[in-house]
Amino acid sequence: MGRETTFYQEFEVFSKRTPTASFQHQFSLLAPNKEMALIMAQENFMRREPVVDIWIVNRKDIRGLEGEEKLILGRLNNKDYRETKGYGYLKKKWRHYEQQMFDEKEILSWAGDKK
Amino acid sequence: MSNERVALKELLFQLADDDFLISYRGSEWLGLAPHIEEDVAFSSITQDTMGHATMYYNLLEELGEGNADALAHLRSSAERRNSVLAERVNGEGYYMETPIYDWAYAVVRNYFYAQAKRVKIDSLRESSYAPLAEGAVKVSMELHYHLMHWRTWFTQLMSSTDEAEKRMTNAIKLVMEDFGDIFSYGQYKEDIESAGLIATEEELTKNWIAALTPVFESLGLAVPTIPAPVKNGRNGEHTDELDTAIATLSEVYRLDVEAVW
Amino acid sequence: MVVVALKTEEEKQQEFLARIEAGEKIEADDWMPEEYRIALIKLISMHGISEIMGALPEKEWVPKAPSLRRKLGIMSKVQDEMGHGQLLLRVAEDLLKPYGKNRGDLMQDLFNEDLKFHNVFHMETNTWADAGLIGWLVDGAAIITQTNMLGASYGPYARALQRICAEEVFHAQHGESIILALAEGTPEQRAMIQESLNGWWESLLMFFGPASSQTTGASKQDVTIKYRIRTKTNEQLRQDFFDKYIPRILSLGLTIPDPTLRYNDEEKRWEYAQPDWNEFKKIIRNEGPRSQARLNLRRTSYEYNAWVRDALSAVIR
Repeated sequence: MGRETTFYQEFEVFSKRTPTASFQHQFSLLAPNKEMALIMAQENFMRREPVVDIWIVNRKDIRGLEGEEKLILGRLNNKDYRETKGYGYLKKKWRHYEQQMFDEKEILSWAGDKK
Repeated sequence: MSNERVALKELLFQLADDDFLISYRGSEWLGLAPHIEEDVAFSSITQDTMGHATMYYNLLEELGEGNADALAHLRSSAERRNSVLAERVNGEGYYMETPIYDWAYAVVRNYFYAQAKRVKIDSLRESSYAPLAEGAVKVSMELHYHLMHWRTWFTQLMSSTDEAEKRMTNAIKLVMEDFGDIFSYGQYKEDIESAGLIATEEELTKNWIAALTPVFESLGLAVPTIPAPVKNGRNGEHTDELDTAIATLSEVYRLDVEAVW
Repeated sequence: MVVVALKTEEEKQQEFLARIEAGEKIEADDWMPEEYRIALIKLISMHGISEIMGALPEKEWVPKAPSLRRKLGIMSKVQDEMGHGQLLLRVAEDLLKPYGKNRGDLMQDLFNEDLKFHNVFHMETNTWADAGLIGWLVDGAAIITQTNMLGASYGPYARALQRICAEEVFHAQHGESIILALAEGTPEQRAMIQESLNGWWESLLMFFGPASSQTTGASKQDVTIKYRIRTKTNEQLRQDFFDKYIPRILSLGLTIPDPTLRYNDEEKRWEYAQPDWNEFKKIIRNEGPRSQARLNLRRTSYEYNAWVRDALSAVIR
């Protein structure tokens, strides 16, 4: 038997656990095409957990960072102007006007229901 | 026992033994499938199917037929009501030695079987026996995947290499030779059909052909014709292959049928 | 990229060791020393192929399992072994890329006997109690070696092990459930477990490998410890196994077939009769009781199914 030069393709498998959850990476598998990858994905990686949706992605279609390219991720810790911690002083200011600060916890609590 | 009661019991044995024997054959494949990822996927289907058999044996136990494990393990081949197709070996050789299993046969048998099971389950959802109708709703949930899985294998192998096509064509021939009793209710046909437990043999056959037609048409083929049964498993007519299977599957159980294992 | 060119191999090696000593994880695309890559390939391809081969002894009991629940339980357990093989082989396959090798080559290495499978899977199974004992004690031993590598410096291996160890918890309980049913059963059932333990005890000792490379001439424990793939030696793992399992074995009224076995309170370690390491050397040369039969089964089914892989290669898209 000769050496098998092609052994299918590599597919990355993602799944969603609940309707509101984000997709999560699971693992990779070998399959000749998307349809085959799909019928093997759930039982290989999510046999014991609920799944509401599955994504199959051919590795060829993924652009990741290689080796030294990861250097582009470096960043100085001087950007509090784009984070709430750069605006903490507002709390004191609003107190002066006898108002509460609208912080993240407060704002996210506004989802839907009126208080 | 009333005719209706006998009919119900017979039908449950047919459903239970079908799923039990075909999943037993599936369990022999474990570890030997042509692709590792497929081995894992196939085993889940086998486990689901044995789970369905267990549900039917439990219904029989509730009807006073005896313990579910005893029903699965101890009944002789003459007492079995499965289709001959479900009992057939996977290929040559005993699984404990170095068997040679035929993947084309596995794909065709399981695909045609899953589709037959689909039309039966769809009908059983309306069964006059409520516990069976409830069971059918549950089984139905898992069948979607089984069908998609085997249909994908079937269509892809049928449109791949010449060798695969040749092997698949041969497998279709082999599977169809045993397909005659799949939709048969055997000697209890009238009682089973008139009790409203499930649709008639003819209606199920028609639904099976209708479901397979688009798939076969897409491959440029005609759905094969279901022959009259040579042996009718529903009447307890079986091959030696079933005897060997029963001997193996009950080997440990029979060491002590009273013991807890 | 310029930065890379200026670094010497020596500097890269130093940086690499500094990274793993700082607890960082190495990923498949990262630069790594050849020695590290080769150690990983050897370890993980053997681990993966051992799962695939390890499915075979237990698989023998799948169709024979003595109840519907036991049939389902052992099927699902053996399915997991195949699944673990899948996870580990994927990790090994990614490491093999620079050499242009794939899963097909790993299978050929197994068949050519260049790639070996774990010594414990060369042994015979004779009764249903063996199936239970494998789940209970062989998986118990496997849990000890595998949890020892959960913090492995190689990220993809650590992640695969995370999945594997979570499933091993089920395997251990599956084995315990079979063993406890037999232990609480008839005298014949109890005798089955004792006989099984007698037969497997040496294999359980061999499971962890020799204490030092002097015993067999080669051991990969030193390099795997150096690169923080694992932390404990073979002997430490064997002692951990004794600590955890000897009390449980004895609690069931079973006898361990080693009259010299005793706990040395001063040295805080178990003293035990060494297994026959010459036998071990034979087993790892594929000369164990079932080595060739299992290889043959794997080879035959792989070769007979070659047409399926050819067919799938024709539908690559």
